[in-house]
Amino acid sequence: MKLYKKEGNILQVLSFPNENAEKGDYLLIEDADAGRSLIAQIIDVQFAAVPGVLEELLRTLPDGGEPIHGEDIDPLEIAPHITYIQDASLLICKIRATLENDSLSPSSSWLPSRSQSTIRKLSIPMLMKLAKVDGKLPIMVGGTKDNSLLTIDASAIDGTLNIITGKKGCGKSHLSKLLMVSLVGYKATVIVFDLNGEYSSLGMTSDGKRNMYYDKIHTLIPSQNFKVALNQLHLNVVMGILIHALHLPGTSAREFRRLWKQLKDSGKLSLTTLGEAIRNLNCNQHVKDALASRFHSLINTGFFTDSAAEALILEECFITAKDQGGAIIVNLKNTSNIDRQIVVEYVLGKLVDSLQNWKLKAAFLFAEEAHLYLRETYWDDIVTRMRHFGIFTTFITNQPDTIRDGIYRQADNIFLFNFTNEHDLEVVSRAARVDAETVKAIARDLPPHHCLTLGRVVHDFPMVTRVRTLDLKTMGETRLFFGDSD
Amino acid sequence: MVIEQYTITTPRYNFPQTSMDTTLPQRFLELSIHSLRQVRNQSFQLNQQPIQQDGQYDNCPMTLQLNRRPLLLVPKSKETLIAAVDTSTIKIGETGTGIIIAVRGANVWKQNHTYRYTRLGPFIFHITEDNKKEVYKSLERSYFNTQYESNHQNAPNLLQMPTRLASLLERWLQAMIAKTATNGLLLFDGSLMSGTADSPVQRMREILTTARRHNNMTFAFSKATSLRSNGYLITDLLPDGDPPYLLETTGLRFKPPFVLLGDVYVARLNKANLSFRLDIDREIPAENRLEAVERLIGNDVFQSYPETLRLSHILCTFTANEVLAIQHFITREHGIRIVNRPDMHRLLFGSFGKGEGYA
Repeated sequence: MKLYKKEGNILQVLSFPNENAEKGDYLLIEDADAGRSLIAQIIDVQFAAVPGVLEELLRTLPDGGEPIHGEDIDPLEIAPHITYIQDASLLICKIRATLENDSLSPSSSWLPSRSQSTIRKLSIPMLMKLAKVDGKLPIMVGGTKDNSLLTIDASAIDGTLNIITGKKGCGKSHLSKLLMVSLVGYKATVIVFDLNGEYSSLGMTSDGKRNMYYDKIHTLIPSQNFKVALNQLHLNVVMGILIHALHLPGTSAREFRRLWKQLKDSGKLSLTTLGEAIRNLNCNQHVKDALASRFHSLINTGFFTDSAAEALILEECFITAKDQGGAIIVNLKNTSNIDRQIVVEYVLGKLVDSLQNWKLKAAFLFAEEAHLYLRETYWDDIVTRMRHFGIFTTFITNQPDTIRDGIYRQADNIFLFNFTNEHDLEVVSRAARVDAETVKAIARDLPPHHCLTLGRVVHDFPMVTRVRTLDLKTMGETRLFFGDSD
Repeated sequence: MVIEQYTITTPRYNFPQTSMDTTLPQRFLELSIHSLRQVRNQSFQLNQQPIQQDGQYDNCPMTLQLNRRPLLLVPKSKETLIAAVDTSTIKIGETGTGIIIAVRGANVWKQNHTYRYTRLGPFIFHITEDNKKEVYKSLERSYFNTQYESNHQNAPNLLQMPTRLASLLERWLQAMIAKTATNGLLLFDGSLMSGTADSPVQRMREILTTARRHNNMTFAFSKATSLRSNGYLITDLLPDGDPPYLLETTGLRFKPPFVLLGDVYVARLNKANLSFRLDIDREIPAENRLEAVERLIGNDVFQSYPETLRLSHILCTFTANEVLAIQHFITREHGIRIVNRPDMHRLLFGSFGKGEGYA
């Protein structure tokens, strides 16, 4: 390989076919005289502009029709050399760091010697060693192209905002499960909003046996094993549900607040008494109708109960998960859109309460397709207020434009799977820790189950990984009509 | 598949045949390798100057007359075998003692509406003042096992060697198609002039005789000519009238040692305003010549020039990519280092210094 050009932080390197350089690979450009090296990542591979190639190709199609057939008697065997030159490639590389005296700096302000520099591929283990991507809480994400393992540190996910995105069926949920069980393995508290009911069986191996996470996975199914008694609810949680999920207008909300306090103070707060109080309310008919309709929506969810035996105390689940480490899976699979929002409002409200009261130290929240249940104002809460309470969110989506720009700008880690759509890539490239060229050039060509990891977990050295398989009952596969009948 | 079938049904012309005399390419190869071995582990300077071609018989006789009454032609699509030959040479670079050159030749033939080709080379030579004579003579001896007198006994100039070697390969390829083709039209690049260092009279005569013995007719097309009539280039003196047509010339005589073995015409083969000098083997009866050109037009002329000849040229020409590959080959296989000596013209005159080939 030979250094050809440098423009800004883009390097162009001439490479020959036997050097097998591919997108995503890292190169070390060593200038021995300067005592410094550049670390650059290949973001695109192009044909080198070798003079005469066009003529070479044109003469195989002399009249624009079919190739002319014939025999080449090439006794000196020059043809392989012609192919070798013709297939020379130009590697477009992004400078990631300068290596000097075994320490890395993000500088790309110096110019290595074009004639004297030596260029070689930098293996991922060597890069990780240089970048000090290690730690005491390793999470093995998967294998890299050079058959080494990419291991990130769980503490690099702690206190961070993460996004897992990619097009449908490329392995986002799989990676999310891998991160989730790894965190649980380190006794972290994890809450998952499981839109498709695919996290419930993570306590089982793929052949149906119990695994090490069996006792740590707590699946809550709203209206089944997850019901709430009104007297467990704080007024602010209920108001959140009524205003944000059920869109109760301000005047009616004030009336509801008065009723709730009255019943709570008298110690008679239940679904029955609340319904009766609304029916007997002496006020504007529109307000009364508004309260009655919201009350029936609450009743119809089946999520609320007057039976103390049926009611689940969510704080207790949090505390169990806190002591031993565990995941609370909120299965939203068979829940309607409104009910989903009610459940999420309740869980998040309770979670914030528990964190504010230091019943929980911190929690990792995994939210799949959050735009389907998360109210508008929560987006900002999550990236600003809630992370100070200790809620560290990982968004998983195949529609990157459903996540607000602000989230991308503040995302600490992005796990990016394949996208072919230019618009999707454009959205993701707004993330602060990512350069748009890398995202667009590499993500477009990622094979299924390969992920481009960007951000803090890889010390800002984007790495392509084939996400490792898990011996878990994942249940995330798409159900097929024409699938294998076996 | 279709091409294969055509080949099977027409076994008479299957150039190059397995029994083909491969003496010359074999000798080319041996000498090529031998000459490169002599230069192993030396350094060489990439080519900076173009090869100069000499126009030794370009002196136009004053007696030439062009008959501007066109001999009108009617394209005949009767299936005819057409075969063409061309060679090419290029200087790859210079060493301390000589030059490194590459030579390649191509035969293209059209049969049953299908074009096929055979390409020979590239052969690479390291030519020095010491070995140039030996290389040339040795190759020439391999040719018919005879060395012809050509009144050019002086050793060729080093810079003329690429053209000389290419001509040698070209004559050999011409001899091969003359021998192997039957009932065809053979197209050569240039003219049927002989008596030059590259084209000894006897050698050219033998090629044409062999071709005739196999019922072939030999044509030579010149893309550029210096022949003039009344001071004008003969290819510029086109009459009104619809092509295709030929214009006859008369009175063309060269002084010894040059011998013209063909009759010269101006050929305008289609409506494109391009005309060429066409030499037709003098021994071919006049009544057959026009019919042969008509068959050529009906079978092989698409862009005012015979396609087989155009393809031969395209296939043997060296592209810049191939030159790089040859440099790569001699560096890798023969350990010759490329050095980049400064171009003195560039160094002294900057952007005004365009090399010795420019005035």
